[in-house]
Amino acid sequence: MLHGLGPADRALLRRRLRTPVRTFLALLALLAMNVALGATRPFEQVWLVELAVVAVMAAIIILVSMEVRHEPPLVRLFAGVGFFWVAILFGMTLTDYLAR
Amino acid sequence: MSSAGTLHGDAAARDPHTPLPTLDRPDDYLHAQSTLRSWFLTTDHKRIALLYLASITAFFVIGAVAAGFVRLALVVPDGAIMTNDTYNKAFTIHGVVMVWFFLIPSIPATFGNFLIPLMIGAKDLAFPKLNLTSWYIFMTGALFTLVAVVLGGVDTGWTFYAPLSTAFSNTWVLPALIGVTIVGFSSILTGLNFVVTIHTMRAPGMTWFRLPIFVWTHYATSLIFLLATPVITLALILLIAERAFHVGVFDPAYGGDPVLFQHLFWFYSHPAVYIMVLPGMGVISEIVPAFAQKKLFGYRFVAYAAIGLASVTFFVWGHHMFVNGQSDLASLAFSALSFAVAVPSAVKVYNWTATIHKGSLRLDTPMLYAMGYIGLFVLGGLTGLYLATLAINQHIHATYFVVAHFHYIMVGGTVLAFLGGLHFWWPKITGRMYSEPWGRISALFIFIGFNVTFFPQFILGYLGMPRRYATYPPEFQLLNVLSSAGSTILAAGYLFPMVYLVYSLWFGRRASANPWDAKGLEWETASPPPPHNFAGVPQVPKVPYDYPIQAPETGSHHT
Amino acid sequence: MSADVTGANPAADPVGVTRAEHFATVGQQRHAATLGMWAWLLTELLLFAGLFLTALILRLLHPEAVQAAAGHLKFWIGATNTVVLLCSSLTMSAAIELSRLGWQRMMVGCLLATASLGALFLMLKGYEYYADYEEHMMPFLARRPYALAEQPATRLFVNLYYVATALHALHLFTGIAILLGITWKASRPGFLQRHQNWIEVYGLYWHFIDLIWIIAFPVLYVVNR
Repeated sequence: MLHGLGPADRALLRRRLRTPVRTFLALLALLAMNVALGATRPFEQVWLVELAVVAVMAAIIILVSMEVRHEPPLVRLFAGVGFFWVAILFGMTLTDYLAR
Repeated sequence: MSSAGTLHGDAAARDPHTPLPTLDRPDDYLHAQSTLRSWFLTTDHKRIALLYLASITAFFVIGAVAAGFVRLALVVPDGAIMTNDTYNKAFTIHGVVMVWFFLIPSIPATFGNFLIPLMIGAKDLAFPKLNLTSWYIFMTGALFTLVAVVLGGVDTGWTFYAPLSTAFSNTWVLPALIGVTIVGFSSILTGLNFVVTIHTMRAPGMTWFRLPIFVWTHYATSLIFLLATPVITLALILLIAERAFHVGVFDPAYGGDPVLFQHLFWFYSHPAVYIMVLPGMGVISEIVPAFAQKKLFGYRFVAYAAIGLASVTFFVWGHHMFVNGQSDLASLAFSALSFAVAVPSAVKVYNWTATIHKGSLRLDTPMLYAMGYIGLFVLGGLTGLYLATLAINQHIHATYFVVAHFHYIMVGGTVLAFLGGLHFWWPKITGRMYSEPWGRISALFIFIGFNVTFFPQFILGYLGMPRRYATYPPEFQLLNVLSSAGSTILAAGYLFPMVYLVYSLWFGRRASANPWDAKGLEWETASPPPPHNFAGVPQVPKVPYDYPIQAPETGSHHT
Repeated sequence: MSADVTGANPAADPVGVTRAEHFATVGQQRHAATLGMWAWLLTELLLFAGLFLTALILRLLHPEAVQAAAGHLKFWIGATNTVVLLCSSLTMSAAIELSRLGWQRMMVGCLLATASLGALFLMLKGYEYYADYEEHMMPFLARRPYALAEQPATRLFVNLYYVATALHALHLFTGIAILLGITWKASRPGFLQRHQNWIEVYGLYWHFIDLIWIIAFPVLYVVNR
């Protein structure tokens, strides 16, 4: 398909796909890191690092892939508010389980 | 519209086979089209509201009949009228049907659907097809639950606590669970539609602080729909998996924890109280200024209180679990936070009262319901503080005190607001006036009947009568008989409107566009409104609730 | 001519949205659609949050059993599947960019690639379930012996793994079905002039299902090892 494109179109395509490809590579690298940590388990508290890596991956997907960084404030609020409510669910439930 | 247009054309007028009524058929939303298809495949929010109104009224009747059986059984202390099994099924059907199929959809799915586009000056909700879909999802869920009822009922109570619902109950729990799970999606989609509509579809000039409080409370309700419902969907999915496949997560036999189900359940079901109450508060906030002809006192505070309630309510679910073995720290935190709910609730009550103060009162039917609401909501809310107190909760947990408390909120609050709203907007919805004397009589019946039914239950609970038992010590019989007697007055109060409202559809006086001299965009358009709500782009007034009598602090020039 | 290859219509603006009757402007309609999808994703997030919370509570209540159970999960299949979904996110993003350019044919290609990668995920998942079955790791089957029967609490986590992955697979399956429906419509001439925003709004859903898996993989497979 690509060989039918003129040079101007190719340049345009390359420019448009730069962000998705870079995002993909970043996510792949982070996943590789998590898989390596999971496979080797270098130290006891490694789950903390693993969860931090996941948090970074999630942030990249929401901000870049789902384009929240370009959205108006209202959409950003909607993207963020869910995580706040997840925090309520986890936080209040853990006041029970961590204090039993 | 094109079909109506051709019917009005000359060809139709000359055609002797065209029935006469279609020639001068009014072109409002009720009459523009009359085929069955035009109702069941409609995307008009007003018609969908009526589909909901018909379905939830049917469920209200089913739930009320079940309640009648419960009160009948409790006339005698020894369970001679009903066996334990039958009694368990009766109160479960009452709870399941009333909570999931009446109270939760009641005001949002009917008045919310009908009024939000009208109040914000839009042609429809943002996603009309999704709106219709949500009604079909509702009916599908309802079908499953009805199957469970017809096949022989369910005996777990409306809360479906594990492990009773998963391991011990021999009734039709699965179809009921599936029905309740499905119905959740209909709430989610309704909430989604409202949120997006209120954000994006407001008419030019309709800023947030010009919105009626009704819209504010529905926005808050929709947030709860969106944020809380999925958690109970998950809890119910796990419960279904538990019952069907013995997953074990809630089963102590394998080391599972039934309390976890309660956490997930109440993360939704406590905020669900505000799904039921907030829309009612919206209704009252419309009725009170209209019948006091006075500007709503403290508009911004009432609006903020709606959002405040919808947020605080997510932090208090553990007060349903004080005696279930959750940690002391959790109980302490949930108890303390529960008191916070009283603040925004009281803000609303004080503001309604201040609106009535020095207003020019008309005690028509909607206002009678609104005044009843305020009184009963105060009683229900204050007894909630008893229940939020750890030490007192130990004494009255799972007694009739709890039953009385939440009926003061659910019936005294939501049902009265629903009926008040039904009478208030009946002329707008149907284009007809109902019989005012009959309206007032039934409002009175309901208020008296309700109090006679439920006030004795506070005393019974305080004296220690536990809920969910078919038998009780003989010394409680007098109060139980009183309560059952009250429920017959209440039933009469419910029956009257069903008769005179239906009667008014054909024989009622025609309603004008604004029979109550009320403010708000819904009263600017015809009664009943045309299919696309407004003739042009509606003119949004600069201030909401611009009634002749102004609140004192703004300086009164109109009096 | 590049237009033949890309499938863009050289006449008129190749990309746009037709206004539905009840909206005042196209901008309003686009905003409503995006916001509606985000509102839906909010509820999806809370749905899966309940599952992750359950996993966390199980870990707190039965740490050894959860570790023993997680050790039996197919770590490498899970990791491969994550890569598959990351690839599908890339093709979805590419489809969105192409839809904005109005290059319809290449966009349809990317959408089909996305659906295929989703299907590949489901096939790998199915193989994983089969391997679990062979290893007697399906405690919810009442008649089949369970490999870790001497540790009853392990069945909680293993069963939760099935509920979680099945719920995710259901979302992915629905997602593929809807994607194929959209792709079919999107291959018609003039689609991007009428419904370009469908691709963007749908893309949000697809990215979100990927996101859920990207969280589920470590929560189920990695941190409990």
